[in-house]
Amino acid sequence: MAGSHSDPLAHPEVRQGSAMRYIAGFVSTVVLMGAALIVTMRHDLPYQSFVELVGGLAALALFSQATLFYGLDISRAQIWKGVSLILTLPLFIITVGLTVWMFQSLNQRTMVMPTSAAAASQPTLLQ
Amino acid sequence: MANETAPTANTQLFRPGYHGHNQISARTLGFWLYMLSDALLFTALFASYAVLDTPMNAAGGPVASQIVNPIEGFWQTIAVLGSVTCYSLATVAMKNGKRGGTAVGIIAAIVLALVFLAFGVNDLATLAAHGDGMDRSGYLSAYFVLILTHAIHMGVGILWMLVMLVQIPLFGFNDMVVARMLNLRMFWQFQATIWVCLYVYVYMIGA
Amino acid sequence: MQLQVPGPWSPLLGRLTLNAIPYENPILQVTFAVVALIGLVIVGLVLYHKKVGYLWREWLTTVDHKKIGVMYIIIGLVMLFRGFADGLLIRTQQVLANGPHAAGMLGAKHGFLPPFHFDQVYSAHGTIMILFAATPILTGFQNIVVPLQIGARDMAFPYMNAVSLWLTTAAAVLVMISLFVGDFSQAGWVGLIPLTELPYSPGVGVDYWMWAIQISSVGTTLNAINMIVTIVDMRAPGMSWFRMPVFSWTTLSTNIIGLTAFPVLGVALALLGADRYLGTHFFTAGMGGNLMLYTNLFWIWGHPEVYFLILPTFGVISEVIPAFSEKPIFGYVTMVAATFAIAGISWLVWLHHFFTMGAGPDINGFFSVATMLVGIPTGVKVFNWMFTLYRGRITYSVPMLWAMFGLFLLLVGGLTGMMLAIPAINYTVHDSVFVIAHFHCMVLMVVCAGFAGVTYWFPKLFGFKLDEGWGKAFFWTFAIGTVTVFSAMFALGFEGETRRLDWTFNTAWKPMLVVEEVGMVLYVISLVFFATMLVVSIRNRHKQRLAADPWGTSRTLEWLTPTPVPFYNYAVTPQVNTRDELAWRRKYGLENTKPDVYEDIHMPRNSGLPVILGALAGVWGFAMIWRIWWLAAISLVGIVLVVIIRSFDKNAGYHLQPAEVEAMERDLAIGAIMAEQSDRAHHHTHAEAH
Ligand code: HEM
Ligand SMILES: [Cu+2]
Repeated sequence: MAGSHSDPLAHPEVRQGSAMRYIAGFVSTVVLMGAALIVTMRHDLPYQSFVELVGGLAALALFSQATLFYGLDISRAQIWKGVSLILTLPLFIITVGLTVWMFQSLNQRTMVMPTSAAAASQPTLLQ
Repeated sequence: MANETAPTANTQLFRPGYHGHNQISARTLGFWLYMLSDALLFTALFASYAVLDTPMNAAGGPVASQIVNPIEGFWQTIAVLGSVTCYSLATVAMKNGKRGGTAVGIIAAIVLALVFLAFGVNDLATLAAHGDGMDRSGYLSAYFVLILTHAIHMGVGILWMLVMLVQIPLFGFNDMVVARMLNLRMFWQFQATIWVCLYVYVYMIGA
Repeated sequence: MQLQVPGPWSPLLGRLTLNAIPYENPILQVTFAVVALIGLVIVGLVLYHKKVGYLWREWLTTVDHKKIGVMYIIIGLVMLFRGFADGLLIRTQQVLANGPHAAGMLGAKHGFLPPFHFDQVYSAHGTIMILFAATPILTGFQNIVVPLQIGARDMAFPYMNAVSLWLTTAAAVLVMISLFVGDFSQAGWVGLIPLTELPYSPGVGVDYWMWAIQISSVGTTLNAINMIVTIVDMRAPGMSWFRMPVFSWTTLSTNIIGLTAFPVLGVALALLGADRYLGTHFFTAGMGGNLMLYTNLFWIWGHPEVYFLILPTFGVISEVIPAFSEKPIFGYVTMVAATFAIAGISWLVWLHHFFTMGAGPDINGFFSVATMLVGIPTGVKVFNWMFTLYRGRITYSVPMLWAMFGLFLLLVGGLTGMMLAIPAINYTVHDSVFVIAHFHCMVLMVVCAGFAGVTYWFPKLFGFKLDEGWGKAFFWTFAIGTVTVFSAMFALGFEGETRRLDWTFNTAWKPMLVVEEVGMVLYVISLVFFATMLVVSIRNRHKQRLAADPWGTSRTLEWLTPTPVPFYNYAVTPQVNTRDELAWRRKYGLENTKPDVYEDIHMPRNSGLPVILGALAGVWGFAMIWRIWWLAAISLVGIVLVVIIRSFDKNAGYHLQPAEVEAMERDLAIGAIMAEQSDRAHHHTHAEAH
């Protein structure tokens, strides 16, 4: 087919690979996860802010992976990956978000949750 | 219609010699789409985990904070990210046409992946040995299946890398081999992405 | 690890014993005899005409998107027939088993189907119609039409295309096998939970249902990837996004749904499978399971799925109406925008299938409003079709009749859907046959568009048209049958008949049940007309010589190819100059211009591996269903091996030389030139209407 006679190693997806970027991706993710680990082990934040902080660090890590590992950008070679990812991102949020929302409501209205001390000290997203 | 103009002397009706799409681009886009689909599979698993992560669904068995170990999870994080970085560096060696360097990178990636899997499998085996296997409660079902699904993906990636180790010396860097190497790079990086979500949600927020 | 299942189990045959074959059931005996007879006749014919080699070379191993599409449609039609037979059984049982004094026979207290059998019939009916009839038929159209419509030689991944087909086939075969070996699920097409759990459904029925769906949805996902990449990467030069025909747009949107929604179904069924095979507690009653989690996951897929079905039919209608109104589609850009708005909204509404779950009013309110929002883009589409018809030069040929009736059904189904979207109404009619009537209007709209598409594109592939007279007879009996059955069903919904009743206890329902049965008789007659149409058309096929565009008024690129379309589609890639390329070329007298140079064409080589993969997947499914572990392990390893073997294949394909291409084009053209003579007159009376 077309392009089969040109050098496959000249393909933009091959060319975009870069040692610096990958190492930067490794370092940034490890640092961010390390920071999140410290926050987790200190156990001194209220649940809500703890989830927000750790979730924010995770979002940063995901962003750094998108740019540094996958090398997503808006160049011609990459554009459809970016577009399809942006179209799909809302679905991740919808699926998890609406599910958690409806089950919070359902549990609250229909379930008797254990109220022992151990359970109360152990909040989860659904409580 | 506004864009409907009459043909002129320069109007072309056919395009002899038109070279359609590029094989490698089509394959990487296709594989990327598969990964988005796979990402939704994990999304559904995370949603299930969220629903089953309540003391009630633990049914008297252990809850998250009693079984997860964020510090050990951190070593796993380093192992899986290291593996991904090694493999990605292997594709940089491929870019420079170096078969030897590519192979070294792939082998390093396999070793680190095995380290990662050893941690995870050990965790699950210990739990199961204490009677807290996936059949203990709804919560543990979600926990086991989420982690096992990621582990199975890692296993498939290792198998794929072994195939590449055979194909690179056999075929050299031809179109197909290069396309597979690029797809595997996405697939492997994707495992790190999923692990970050898993680590933060299960191991940290659960702790 | 072997989970305790009731009944015998042996390492060699798993749960399979002679008792699994229901030889004492008279209904199944007759079915088996009929199926065996048809099978023998087909095999006999193939052997008698020495066509085994031909079948293998030209069909089973093909990677040609058109042949793959045709096989998809054939499978879909066969399964449509099977599903229809199930529907006929359901309707007949309900009218016979009406009231406490209804007689019983064949072991049933009332009617002729005992509950365990009736339940299997309706579960099979829904599963088959949605996943093994509608989906393959629509996938078939997309396969056939999209590459032609965007000026490509094939799909982006022809080999993977064949893999998708054979996975779907393997799954359909599993469903059919369940008729004669073991039984099918009794828990509805949605898999009512916790009925599908092992303690309540200890047999193999649920396993058949579950693995068949899993295997076919892998096929659907692969096909979605293929379609999207084809559309993104392989459009002919000049075909910018906003010159792409609407059918290709709807294919793109529907496959985005396919790509993203099917994995969620996969998870729902895999977790159910974990419950049944590994003893987990995702959805069990007790031990920390959550029943509503299954329902939630199922409908996260389920609602996008119904739009996965309806969007391509919107595409078919958007091709048929302009062609037979001799006008460009009205509001092209809004049509495209509405398509994607519908696809987007379809992801936000799934809770309307379980308003009665017990979530709070804020949640039901959110999902109710989101559901109703879909009426806006749908309305845009309907008005666009209306304005396309307005002052058009309308020809009521068969495809157009189907399209018009489809619009009518869309209207009725859409309005009743809006009623159901209101939680207060939904609480009273949920799980009544009112819901059944609603969605049958919708899915029958899919069937109507399917028949519109079959009649419209048939000549392009086979070189002859389907008989118009018998086609109309088929259409009218089918349409009147539909109206009869489902008007009565809406009424029964208001009278309080709940769905899935093997015994219709209330005698007040009798009149409407009889009306429904009358409608079913019309359906049966329509089927006879359909078969006659096929036979008559095939017999008269040599009497026609068709031009590239047999309708004379089609507008899009696919009609530029010779009729019947050669296997390489376009001898030379066309240059696209405007939106309705063919209509434009016709307007300026360019539609018969041939390229002046030919070039060599690269074609992918056929492969037997996809059929083998499909067969292995089928065997694997069968082994899992019957818990024959050694066989499951072997076939799984086989699948992995085939995938690896394929990756070592250099599969270079082959080249057609320019002289060969030119000769083939010349042979094809002879037919077209003869047809042109008689078509000329027709052509001039049908000049562009503006
Ligand atoms: C105007 C758009 C639509 C609206 C507002 C709508 C609304 C609804 C609602 C609220 C229900 C749930 C009823 C209940 O169980 O209580 C429902 C069921 C259903 N709808 Fe629709 N719908 C629409 C379009 C469609 C389309 C286009 C299809 C299929 C092609 C479809 C197929 C179905 C099916 C299969 C069910 C029932 C599933 C089951 O419980 O077995 N609907 N619809
Ligand atoms: Cu719905």
